Amino acid sequence: MLNVKIRKLFRSDAQPFVLDANVSFPPGFTVLFGPSGAGKSTLLDCIAGLQQPDSGEICLGERVFFDAASNLSLPPQRRELAYVFQSLALFPHLSVEQNIRYGLDRLAASEQTERANTAARNFRIEHLLSRRPAELSGGEKQRVALARALATSPRVLLLDEPLTGLDSSLRRSILEDLHAWNDANRIPILYVTHNREEVDAIGERVVTLVNGRVQETGTPRGVLDAPRSIELAQSAGFENVLPAVVVEHRPADGIMRVSLDHAACEIEIPLGEAEPGSEVRVAIRAGDILVATEPPHFLSARNILPGTIVSVETRGAMVALQVKAGTVFQVHVTPGAVRALDLSPGLLVWLVIKTHSCHLVR
Amino acid sequence: MRNPNRTPSRLCSGRLLRRALFLLSFFLSSRVHAQTIRIAAASDLQFALPDLAAQYEKQSGVKLAITYGSSGNFVAQIQNGAPFDLFFSADVSYPHQLIVAQLADVSSLQIYAVGHLVLWLPPDSPLDPSAGLKTLLNPRIQKIAIANPDHAPYGRAAIAVLREAGLYDQLKPKLVFGENIAQAAQFVQTGNAQAGLLAHSLTFSPAMKSGKFWTIPVDNYPSVEQAAVLITASPNKEAAISFLAFLKTPAARAILERYGFFLPPPAEATKHKL
Amino acid sequence: MNTEALLLSFRLAATVSLFLLVLALPLAYVISFFQWRGKFLVESVVALPLVLPPTVLGFYALLAMGPHGLLGKIWQSLFGHPLAFTFTGLVLASMLYSLPFAVQPLVASFESLDRRLLDASAILGADRARTFLRIILPLAWPGVLTALVLSFAHTLGEFGVVLMVGGNLPGITRTVSIDIYDRVQALDYAAAHQTALLLLLISFVVLSIVYGVNRRVWSPWPAK
Repeated sequence: MLNVKIRKLFRSDAQPFVLDANVSFPPGFTVLFGPSGAGKSTLLDCIAGLQQPDSGEICLGERVFFDAASNLSLPPQRRELAYVFQSLALFPHLSVEQNIRYGLDRLAASEQTERANTAARNFRIEHLLSRRPAELSGGEKQRVALARALATSPRVLLLDEPLTGLDSSLRRSILEDLHAWNDANRIPILYVTHNREEVDAIGERVVTLVNGRVQETGTPRGVLDAPRSIELAQSAGFENVLPAVVVEHRPADGIMRVSLDHAACEIEIPLGEAEPGSEVRVAIRAGDILVATEPPHFLSARNILPGTIVSVETRGAMVALQVKAGTVFQVHVTPGAVRALDLSPGLLVWLVIKTHSCHLVR
Repeated sequence: MRNPNRTPSRLCSGRLLRRALFLLSFFLSSRVHAQTIRIAAASDLQFALPDLAAQYEKQSGVKLAITYGSSGNFVAQIQNGAPFDLFFSADVSYPHQLIVAQLADVSSLQIYAVGHLVLWLPPDSPLDPSAGLKTLLNPRIQKIAIANPDHAPYGRAAIAVLREAGLYDQLKPKLVFGENIAQAAQFVQTGNAQAGLLAHSLTFSPAMKSGKFWTIPVDNYPSVEQAAVLITASPNKEAAISFLAFLKTPAARAILERYGFFLPPPAEATKHKL
Repeated sequence: MNTEALLLSFRLAATVSLFLLVLALPLAYVISFFQWRGKFLVESVVALPLVLPPTVLGFYALLAMGPHGLLGKIWQSLFGHPLAFTFTGLVLASMLYSLPFAVQPLVASFESLDRRLLDASAILGADRARTFLRIILPLAWPGVLTALVLSFAHTLGEFGVVLMVGGNLPGITRTVSIDIYDRVQALDYAAAHQTALLLLLISFVVLSIVYGVNRRVWSPWPAK
């Protein structure tokens, strides 16, 4: 179990902020999720010993990495962890094999060879051992970076957005190999990303970091499907984050009514902790809104809003509509739906939004 | 019909121009009213010449702008058009070179002083220079500074003196060479050389005054006759020649003597050997 | 034609550039990879020889080597003879004179390295020495080569410092630049021309070879 309890003040850049984290990482994958600039990379750097927190402790089980109180800070060389940076940092003047063996120099030559070959096999790069990094493709470089990191049998693995820029099939195959490795060696793996798909693909545990503070800890569904902060909502893919004013509470129905966009329209959202008259925000996924070309009847959904389609934009396998129904909503439908209903700008439609698709966000 | 709008700006620029010209003439006029003679002088004159210049300026109103350096360098510069009016060399051969090249005026050639060679030791030296050149054999003397004999007259004199005394071969390994006599003095004065064969005139400088020296008998080396000459291209010939004449006056000779120069008898000054 | 002076100059330039590399590498390392409060002072001192006239530098070197200077005193007590007017004295003074030409290209090339490479090396277990030898040096070698070439060329052309501390001893401190100067002073222009031309040719050939063989050697101030 990796225990991290630290504070670090950042003075540079536009706004100073404080990284304030108190979190534990059990063996297995933990995704560190949050918008850019939230302090994720800094957190990893502190765990690795590349940056020093101002106060706190970091320990892996019994081993103390950092303790501000007793002025103890183990240098990165002695922490026995592995860290794959976003830029990968492969040594450009060394071959793939030399890169992988770099961390193994304390072992006997024969063992070095064995470990290097095993790592290469696990990540399917045996055929690349004599190449230089400049000769590799993006996906191959990521694999080499992982092989190099894991050949050293680390006790903790830190991954900073290791799969950015790769297409989804490549991402999937690398994640499979990583999962396979994880099953064999259960160590804490911290996986930093701001990509929602990767969060779901990895699955185990999510820790969200916003403005330097750990906000939530839980499962991907729990944390990201009901985001409690605006930044998280935006990162987690809620296309609609609408300013609203609470009109009234209806505890008997389990809902409260809010008015959007200066009373242009009213919708019902789950009952939450906001007094009538207070200003809030409501987050709704574009994919959670249904479109009807006739006023629908006998539906369980409580929010049915008439409106007009403003624009239709095809984005590959998805079509993004902007619909003005009181306020402007982003709505995602399939191309098939567009064809079947003949959706086009100017068309009068009805938007259907389930109460539980609306999330109160601070 | 004159455009009233144009006149003010023309007046303005005219006024500006006149003001600029006035300032310029102000700066230039100081040069025009007080004449200046430029002199290239051997480095051993750097203590005597300022006094001579001050005296001369008081009585004639003419300023002297003096550059000190090595005579060989000055010849090269004058050959390439350096704007000096007078050349005060450390010997006679350099002015001769200029005369032969028709860059200097033969009738102006004048021996203004005779330099003497001394053996100089720093004040903290435990040795006594009055024991003569043999002092240089002492193992405490590890380096002896002289001017470069290739082109400095005091250097040639030093070598001649050592040969004459039969000490040259023994002392040769200890010799170090300054570019000019002033640099040789600097080597000893800073303690890097423990002894030097220097110009007498330099021993009067503030930094060297406290040292101890022994004047080497003049018969032991070819005399260091220092000659001055007028540069043909000079635009200030009259003023330059007046200064040369001034050097023969008793007042000037007194100053030179005070600074350790020996003087040729008044009549000898204008005799020269070509 | 003074081949002795020419050979001495090349010997001096080669010795100085090698010794200077040994001195400049740790200095550049400390400037590039550490942040500390007095750093700007050290950087200024390193850059001083760029702005100080060589004769001023030479003069103070002369004083330092003399019996009243710290360096001179130490040397005298160790070796029994003064440091001035020796080849060694010339080497030391020249190292001071060419110091920025060795340090600054090294600093420029160290600072252009991707810091994450050094981080990766540390995390993989390499101590500072190993990171320096296996990662920093191999990747910064154009800077090393530039430092060598620049300090060599700069020392070859040195005059003011040699003038002040050399004492003009043939075969020991009479470098080719002093020799040419002497020839001019002695009005022996023919000899001066000959030696100068030979120096120019040899220097040009040496530099052309270095720049030609290695396209990554920088001109004096590399753009970062």
